[in-house]
Order: sequence, then structure tokens, then C-alpha cells
Amino acid sequence: MTYAIEAEQLVKHYSGRGGDVEAVKGVDLHVQQGEVFGFLGPNGAGKSTTVRMLTTLMTLTSGSARVAGVDVTKDPDAARNKIGVALQEAGLDPRQTGRELVILQGRLFGMSQTEAADRTIELLKLVDLVDDADRRIKGYSGGMRRRLDLASALVHEPEVLFLDEPTTGLDPASRLTIWDELRRINERGTTIFLTTQYLEEADQLCDRIAIIDGGLIVGEGTPAELKADLRQRRGLSHEPTLDEVFLDATGRTRERAAGEVQEVQA
Amino acid sequence: MNKVFPLIQRSIREALRTPEALLPTLFIPLFFLVVNVGQAARIFPSTSTPFLAGQNYAAFQLPSSLLLAASFGTAALYLVEDIEGGYFDKLRAAPVPRTAIVFGRLSAEALKSAAIAIAMVLIALPFGIKIASGPLGFVLLIVLTASWAVVFSGFMQLIALKTRSAAATNSAGLIFFPLLFLTPSFVPRPLLTRPMEIAATFNPVTYIMEALRSLVLHDLDWPVIGRGFLVVAAAGAVMVLLSVRSIRRYD
Repeated sequence: MTYAIEAEQLVKHYSGRGGDVEAVKGVDLHVQQGEVFGFLGPNGAGKSTTVRMLTTLMTLTSGSARVAGVDVTKDPDAARNKIGVALQEAGLDPRQTGRELVILQGRLFGMSQTEAADRTIELLKLVDLVDDADRRIKGYSGGMRRRLDLASALVHEPEVLFLDEPTTGLDPASRLTIWDELRRINERGTTIFLTTQYLEEADQLCDRIAIIDGGLIVGEGTPAELKADLRQRRGLSHEPTLDEVFLDATGRTRERAAGEVQEVQA
Repeated sequence: MNKVFPLIQRSIREALRTPEALLPTLFIPLFFLVVNVGQAARIFPSTSTPFLAGQNYAAFQLPSSLLLAASFGTAALYLVEDIEGGYFDKLRAAPVPRTAIVFGRLSAEALKSAAIAIAMVLIALPFGIKIASGPLGFVLLIVLTASWAVVFSGFMQLIALKTRSAAATNSAGLIFFPLLFLTPSFVPRPLLTRPMEIAATFNPVTYIMEALRSLVLHDLDWPVIGRGFLVVAAAGAVMVLLSVRSIRRYD
């Protein structure tokens, strides 16, 4: 089977001022084409580090990763041509207009000015930003920025879209808008790999999820499988929520996690 | 090149949309020109000061101000903003040669610096300053100033990539002051005290300043001009190579 994302024993060590940090300790991932794959984990679990390795933004200490069939270490530019990336902080240039930003992104992916301009109109329609296309980004709301970031990540019609906490900090209406857009994008055949701190989001959107804790995968499966497994293991009388699955997989109590959920980040 | 051009356009838009960052690069060097000339012009009257070649002291000081204007390195501060805001990662995640990312900013910095240098020379002309080397000399003056802007911005960009900190990058920019003052900025090198002359001889900025000064005060003096361009080319190559290496190793 050809996987959209295939990682074997991904490891990342940093050497910081406080000594060596093992952020990711040996992660295996197999994401099928067309899936929406959720990557969950508490603060500092290694989610963003894993995403950054898979998107060529960070070197691998060891292990291997292939995205859309391309080895990210051996041929990073080929991998970049096949992936779209929207990271935790919407990476936008506030001095440009929405239109300028997406056109530039298109040009960077090798399009002519005309092609990039045409594609930009399509994408701005998709994310409902046509009316604000010529406003500077610094005037955009958080939701608009996220949608624009998403549009710019889609400019070259990537095979795999990486989204790092795409709805963090958004109001419920904006979150639902992003969810609808992600479903639409996925229906067109794009594989989506998303990290999120919102378990409801994972439940709503993801075909399968993996839970990472302390740099290691501690649970993987469809939301239904993970819930059924917990129910069986714990002999629960009720259908567990994904929150309970998460707490069980990461060994956290509800009380301990309550304080952390507020600041859960990759 | 087709990926450098849109990045140059973006950097120029960025500069034009931040006039509050652009204007000081013109007015502060002009301010120093006025102050320096005001303080020392009477010591060096044009009629009895051979090194002025018949011009006034402002003509002698103009190169210092041009170099100062080219040494603000604002491109590096925009780079830090890109890093902090996440846009730099967006660029790195695109299939763009790392050299294009470096050249995009530096080329825009060169164009911006050239425009400012032209404005400064045009402002200086009514005050009796002439470009003695003629139209070709004027072009060389602007090109050399803009090339120095590339070198200095390259250095600042390197600091930005290493530290990812606006404060550290800003502080690193202050290195220009020792570089500028350890030069024959007020009098020609032979008139400096011996320790200053030695320091100035080892300072690469000296050769750029002497080349610029030669273009303002004299006819085309190719050995002096050539040394200036040689220094700028060597320093520019080092800065670009180090910046590209730094982006490639950026984690």
C-alpha cells in the first residue's frame, strides 16, 4: 500500500542550554491517502516537532519519513512541492494584502503571475475572503488569518496538507467554518494531517488519530476503535468520550489535565 | 531568478509600507552630515585644504553619510519579524532555493539603498557638492553604496538567523559605529595618528570610504575605486555564503 505519510522511528534531539532534549523518541506513522489523520498530545509531547520534521522544516536526528512518496531528507524540494503547510501561528506577512500573499505563494511554487492571480481568486472564494482580498493582513481577524493561511497552503493543490492546530484561538463560528473547509478540501482527495488540542475537533473530523506523549505514540486507531478499546479494558458502562481516551492514553487524571488543557500545545 | 523576483517585490512593498522605518535612513545620515560639517568645516577651508580638491568639507563628509545610510540593515529586522511571526517557515516550506530567500531581501535592500543614496546626493548638490568623476562616477558611487548595504544587511541577516532575536540583531547593528569611526572619516589616512592609521588600514570599510570619496572629489581613479569594489565583493560573497548556509541549517 502507498501511504500519504510514512514515518519510521522518527527521532529528534535538541541540544539546548539546559542540556539535551529528546523531543521525539521514535515515532512510526502510516497515514493512508485521502485520510484525515489527527495527531493529539499534551503540551510538549512532540506534536509540532513531528510536523516540522515531516514538512522539511526540521532535520531528523534519526529515522526516515516519506510524504507523498518522497523522502523528506533526501529530496526536500520534491516533498515541498507535494505538501501544503499551515503551522500553529498563521505564518502571514501582515504588511501584504491577502491577495498579494497568495499570489506570492503561487509564484514561489513556480506559477506565472497570471496563473497565480487566477488561482488566488479561486482560493479566496473557497475561504470566503474575496471581499477582503485587497486589505492588509494586519487588519484581519484571527479567523480570517487562519482561512488565508489555509488558502495559501492550498495554492499548489498539495497531495498532503499539514495543519498544526488550525483552529486554536478561534471563536466557535470560525472553527466550524474551518471544519467545513477542511471537509471540502478532503473530499477533493487531499490527505490532511492535523494536530489539535480540541478532542471534539478530532472526533468530528478525523478518520484516524494517533496520540503522542513524551515523544512516543501511546495510542492509535479510529476514534470509534479507541473508545471501544477503552470501554472494554475499563469495563465502562457508558460510551467513553475522546477526552477519556486521551486521558487514559497519556496517563493523566482529569484533575491534572484540567490545568494543562488550557495550555496544551504541540 | 524567477523565484527571487517576487521576493524582491515583496521586500520593496514591505519597505514602502513602512515609511517610519525608511525615512530615518535618509534623515539621520543627512543630520550627521550637517553636524559634522558644521563642526569641522572652518578647520578645513576649501581654499587652503589640499585634500578637499577644491570642494568644500561637505563633499569630503558625504561618503561617511552615504555609508551610514547604507548601514541600517532594516532588512534583517524584517527577517526577524518573519521568523517570529512564522512567515519565514512558510517560505522555507516552499520549494524555493535558499539562495533566493537570501537574495530576495538583499536585492531589495540594494535597490532601497541606491534610491536613498541618489536622494542624498541630489539633496547635497545645491550645497556646492559636485561629483567630480562625472556621470559614470555618480553611477559607481551609487552602486558601491548599494553594494555596501548588501554586505551590511547580509551581516545583520546572519545575526538574525543565528539569534532569531530583534534585540540581538539591533545590537549587532551597532558594530557599524566602530567600523565607521576607525576609518579616515574626518581626514585622509595619512593625517591620522599612527595607531588610528594602523586601525584604519585593517578596517575594510576604509577602502570603501576612500573609493566613494575618490569618486566625489577626483576624476576616476581606478586603483582606488577597484579596491573599494574588491572589498565589497569579497565581504558580500562571504555574507551571502554564510547566510545561505545558515538558512540551510536552520532547524
